[in-house]
Amino acid sequence: MFDYRTFAMRKLLTIAPRYLPFADVATDEVPLSRLLRLSLFQVTVGMALSLLVGTLNRVMIVELSVPATLVAGMLALPLLFAPLRMFIGFKSDTHRSALGLRRVPYIWKGTLYQFGGFAIMPFALLVLSGYGEAIDAPRWIGLASAALAFLLVGAGVHMVQTVGLALATDLVKDEDHPKVVGLMYVMLLLGMVVSALTYGALLETYTPGRLIQVIQGTAVLTVGLNMLALWKQESRDRNRAQAMERAPKAHFRDAWDRVIARPGMVRLLAVIGLGTFGFGMADVLLEPYGGQALGFTVGETTQLTALFAIGTLIGFGLASRVLGQGGDPAKLANLGALLGIPGFAAIILSSSVVGPLLFLAGILATGIGAGLFGHATLTATIRGAPPEQIGLSLGTWGAVQATCAGLAVALAGVVRDVLVGVGGFSGLSANLPYNAVFTIEIAFLALAIFVTIPVAVRRG
Amino acid sequence: MSDDPDKVWPTGLNLKEAEEVHSYLIDGTRVFGAIALLAHMLVAVSTPWLG
Repeated sequence: MFDYRTFAMRKLLTIAPRYLPFADVATDEVPLSRLLRLSLFQVTVGMALSLLVGTLNRVMIVELSVPATLVAGMLALPLLFAPLRMFIGFKSDTHRSALGLRRVPYIWKGTLYQFGGFAIMPFALLVLSGYGEAIDAPRWIGLASAALAFLLVGAGVHMVQTVGLALATDLVKDEDHPKVVGLMYVMLLLGMVVSALTYGALLETYTPGRLIQVIQGTAVLTVGLNMLALWKQESRDRNRAQAMERAPKAHFRDAWDRVIARPGMVRLLAVIGLGTFGFGMADVLLEPYGGQALGFTVGETTQLTALFAIGTLIGFGLASRVLGQGGDPAKLANLGALLGIPGFAAIILSSSVVGPLLFLAGILATGIGAGLFGHATLTATIRGAPPEQIGLSLGTWGAVQATCAGLAVALAGVVRDVLVGVGGFSGLSANLPYNAVFTIEIAFLALAIFVTIPVAVRRG
Repeated sequence: MSDDPDKVWPTGLNLKEAEEVHSYLIDGTRVFGAIALLAHMLVAVSTPWLG
């Protein structure tokens, strides 16, 4: 008689471990190809960011005619979750798993939320805008489901990015951290730029069906890329699993106290917050400023953003090189902020004195400054973190960084709109609202440098 | 490893490990199910397909 049991068992055993989602052994040397694969999670984060901040912002206001204040409120919802990054990072540091996994379960959960948010988002937006029969539906259905969609995407992005960065830090040796940070930033930028261009092209002629395709396509692509990224990155380890089981229960308060007690940590966080805020306000204003103050066409203003991105890439490259050779991240962050000040000054002056050339030089300088600053502050965070607190440290970095970047974008819009409104009555020049924001940015960068002065003095 | 009394035949995982793998499957199914349900209800609100 045919023995099904043995047959099935033999078949099961021939499924080689290479088809399983965990690494067989934790190797010391992590090849670049594996790191590149891991960095794909940053591409999905970039996709989500550019879809939310750029594309949907336009589509909701222009095509779906949702009130602008409601759109701004919806898009700000993910910010609420930013402080939770600390908690997510802490949870992944102290995770208990029989398989010995620490980071992968959280990346998987984050991916699920990201996917879920994108999966319901197009329908939620259509209901919100009163498409089809939804015009008769109670208002709260559209509001609640759209809010839920944005919250899910936001929560997913925060989880995936925090824990993904922690995993990348776990994988490589200390001296290679600057390279990994550079790689992660480049992939984030790449994801944002490429997806912004793609969404722009795909949604040029808007139809509700196209909106559904684009957003749900993003959902599928997110799951695909994230699965590809986390595949076999963390090893299955029984010894670590036993150590996890034996470990005493850690409390968030104690862990947090230890992070804050690290010398220079509070100052570093202040610098990150101030600097990110300073650089972040320009993001949404460069294009309209180029159009209004310098008379650039729409196509040309898109190139301004590209120029800023090129500057940022140069900044990342420089920072990776210098920090890889053992440079001091604090000094480099200062240099980045220092570059931003003349950059923004040039942007302000360009509208009245020299013109487009100075403007372009200013954009390039701020781009490089932002790249140096972002890279150096993240590297400083990683360097200061002991291995058992990497998740919490990166969560803290992310909480401060994401909150300040989001606030900066929101405030920049508010300040400009208020000044534009005032200018309409009293006949101020069209440049003034923008120049006011750029001046605020200079002030924040100066503050960021000011905070680091005591350290520089002490080191002599 | 092989002398582990909790070992689940024939995967080589022990009981706790197998339960953890299973929990990911269950959680994933629950979340996917909830999302699918919600998406269907939202579609039904804007373009009713149940008559």
